[in-house]
Amino acid sequence: MLTRRRFLGFSAFSAALLASRPLQRLGFAQTPTGSSEAPLRIAIIGSVYHLGSNLQSIADRFLVGYPFDGDWHMPNVQVVSVYVDSLVPKFGGPIAWGWEQEARREAARRHMHGKSDAHRGTSTQVLEPGPPHPPIAHSVRPRPGARSLGEPLPEHIGLKTDLSRVRSQEFGFRLCGNIPEALRAGTERLAVDAVLTVVEQGDYPTNDRGQILLPCYDFFQQCMRVFQEEGHAVPYFNYGQLSFSFPEAQQMVKTAERLHFPLLAGSSYPVTWRLPAVDIPLGAHVEEAVMVGVGNFDGRDFDALEAMQCMLERRKGGETGVKAVQLLEGDDVWQAGREGRYSRELLSSALSRSDTPMGVTLLNARPQDLVASGVLPQLVKNPAAYCIEYADGTKAALLMLNGAIMDFNISARVAGKGLVSTQFYLPPTPNETNTACLASKIEQTFMTRKTPYPVERTLLTSGMLEACLDSRHRLNQRLETPHLAAVKYQPPREPQYVRT
Amino acid sequence: MAQNKTSTGKRPKLAAVVTSIRLYSHPQHIVDRFLDGYGWNGRFHHPKMDLVGLYVDQRGEGDLTQELVDRHPGLKVYPSIAEAVTLGTGKLAVDGVVVVGEHGRYPLNAKGQAMQPHFRFFESIVDVFRSSNRAVPYFNDKQLSSWSWSQSKQMFDTSRQMGFPLQGGSSLAVTWRIPSVEFPTGATPKEALCVAYGGVDSYDFHALETVQCMVERRKGGETGVKWLQAYQGESFWKAYEQGVWSHSLVKAALSRSSTLMPASRIFTDVYPSVKAMRKLVPDPTAYHYQYRDGLRGTILLMNGLVRDFTFAADIEGRSQPFSTQMYLPMPDGRTTLASFFSPLVHNAELMFLTGKAQYPVARTLLTSGLVIAGIDSIFQGLRRVETPQLAVTYQPSPESTFWRS
Repeated sequence: MLTRRRFLGFSAFSAALLASRPLQRLGFAQTPTGSSEAPLRIAIIGSVYHLGSNLQSIADRFLVGYPFDGDWHMPNVQVVSVYVDSLVPKFGGPIAWGWEQEARREAARRHMHGKSDAHRGTSTQVLEPGPPHPPIAHSVRPRPGARSLGEPLPEHIGLKTDLSRVRSQEFGFRLCGNIPEALRAGTERLAVDAVLTVVEQGDYPTNDRGQILLPCYDFFQQCMRVFQEEGHAVPYFNYGQLSFSFPEAQQMVKTAERLHFPLLAGSSYPVTWRLPAVDIPLGAHVEEAVMVGVGNFDGRDFDALEAMQCMLERRKGGETGVKAVQLLEGDDVWQAGREGRYSRELLSSALSRSDTPMGVTLLNARPQDLVASGVLPQLVKNPAAYCIEYADGTKAALLMLNGAIMDFNISARVAGKGLVSTQFYLPPTPNETNTACLASKIEQTFMTRKTPYPVERTLLTSGMLEACLDSRHRLNQRLETPHLAAVKYQPPREPQYVRT
Repeated sequence: MAQNKTSTGKRPKLAAVVTSIRLYSHPQHIVDRFLDGYGWNGRFHHPKMDLVGLYVDQRGEGDLTQELVDRHPGLKVYPSIAEAVTLGTGKLAVDGVVVVGEHGRYPLNAKGQAMQPHFRFFESIVDVFRSSNRAVPYFNDKQLSSWSWSQSKQMFDTSRQMGFPLQGGSSLAVTWRIPSVEFPTGATPKEALCVAYGGVDSYDFHALETVQCMVERRKGGETGVKWLQAYQGESFWKAYEQGVWSHSLVKAALSRSSTLMPASRIFTDVYPSVKAMRKLVPDPTAYHYQYRDGLRGTILLMNGLVRDFTFAADIEGRSQPFSTQMYLPMPDGRTTLASFFSPLVHNAELMFLTGKAQYPVARTLLTSGLVIAGIDSIFQGLRRVETPQLAVTYQPSPESTFWRS
């Protein structure tokens, strides 16, 4: 199988790279931590670049700046290349641009030769680098934001219109037909100092467990192949979960460790504003936590689980891994509450942080205690509870309560401290400045070559989500997760959510 | 006159005197929180007091009074203010009054100011205080008087003379801040500014309270305001370009906004040029004013550019502006619950329980006067108005009273 072959290839790669570490260091000497005037060159690779996509929200911040620490911050970076997966032909996919027709045919031909991977289900493909496309003509890189932004745009630009082309014209980056090309930016060598990836829902298939088969791993592997050929690895950001597959996610983390490049991953929820601005005190004894949120098995569950994880990892002893999970649905969720599988007190506490209760609040604007009033089962037709049992005995539950609220809140019982509760504030569209908070962490990683928080958080969360969806697939059974009990790590000493 | 005693272990009884109870009106948000409770400190909190008397000045279409009474049998509606605060006994029978003079439909004066009934409510209530020889803590939502300086001053003076705590103002002064920071006590600001939205004789008050709750903590405390000048339309943009207010403070404030309208429809979060702002904001208003100690203050109402309240100040000894957002979880599609009323009500509860105002009403006297001065300036053709009456001096409360837990 291709994946395995890639892994085998990888071992050789890692040995080669380790042997050439002095060279690697030399390469990075060109971009010391923040002291150089030369902008950091970055490649951005992602799924879809249209208004409201995560790629657009995050990538734009490296083009036009973002609000940070009370100023409009312009990162000292130059986006040199962009790859947008949705524009590249896949088997049976729609044609985006005329100039890519050849590339599409080529990719389709390759796919026909059959590349399947059992654990990915039958409808997927492994992405292969396509041929480069002719470079888009552009002159000197204009100053970011130099185009008069108030000017009317052609009528054909709509909500789902690809923006990578107009951005390329405006900001002078190279729009690439494949990932290696993006990393080499039209040269023969690795031509970027960092890679930013945002893989998100596009037209990717879903497997029989309800997992959206986001090709994060494939993107990563394609980059690794370039790193291998170059004997040179650069900081890498992976948006959201590492992979829908824990072994793949684990492989990504191990690869980054072996090749000594900083790998940052995850959602914006752990780093966004909190209302109030609180965290679990480092080393506190956390007894139990309940997180509430909304969404389906659509990625927001990952965001919510990671938000929960970024707080719980601060408990006494640090992260000890997860020993079992169970995903409950329907009436079983309410029954579990009655049986004390999760604390109704914590549920009420988490909900007390919500600014979006539905039901009578929606109709009549008045506050309500959603738990004491007993209305939750009426409001939430299809509840889900992601029950997490940590190896050290701490228990946590994420309740997805579509119909009851529209925001994300947590409450944890901390021995000797009482309840610690907060809302993970997601500022409204279109600004969604939670991604500005994330952009600052990405920039920090790229500039300092150090991750502000451990990728093991994202690894564990990726595994928790996969295990929960497994549980659902197995008729909501409780599943032991020895593979997740092995994920142990220490949190950063300082909270990493935005506070200034 | 005897002070209210609530430390007897009994639950305080309250009366509410309000304009009208309609969906999303201030009276609804405030009265609901006393009766139904609200999320506070990570719990669903029920105030340890009973709202038992209610006077509603205007009923009719959309009135929710009956619905409220049906749900809360302990609450009784009275036909007059005096009966509400005496609970029909002829003598003051409550331990605190909750007064909401906002909303409802009241006539406009010649300057177009809505003549809200804050003062009329106040007089009726104080009459009962006098006749009962007892005064109780008085919560007054938003302004003192919405259009009359002498009424505002009289309310302020009366509360002092009679010795009852009076507290209210805007929720902007007590809501969440993003980031959660307090203006450094004793600092020396050179200039302070709020970028806001909303209309004249409406949200201008909230923007003024946003600035005031911060700068009152400066070195020496509050000194009052010497003059105010309003700018609108072309005079606004001319003043902007001439640097009447600091561009770097505008940038700092806008960098705290989470509702910055993109100047281009293919971006979602981008900093606007002044040219772009002109396109986005067809009808801007500024009140620019100077305090008696030299500090300059400005509020910018920029409808079309933002839908939130942000603050920035240039503080001596700091290289970067000090800035934050006063966050209103507004139920205009962003939320369902106007949670910013919770800290306003919570501070009122603390006043009722302790018999002490949690923050100085002199702040609200000054901001009430600033709104009136702002509208005067507009009415006089955007002329600078001298404000000798606004020589309001006071010291801030040592403790922060904004929402942070």
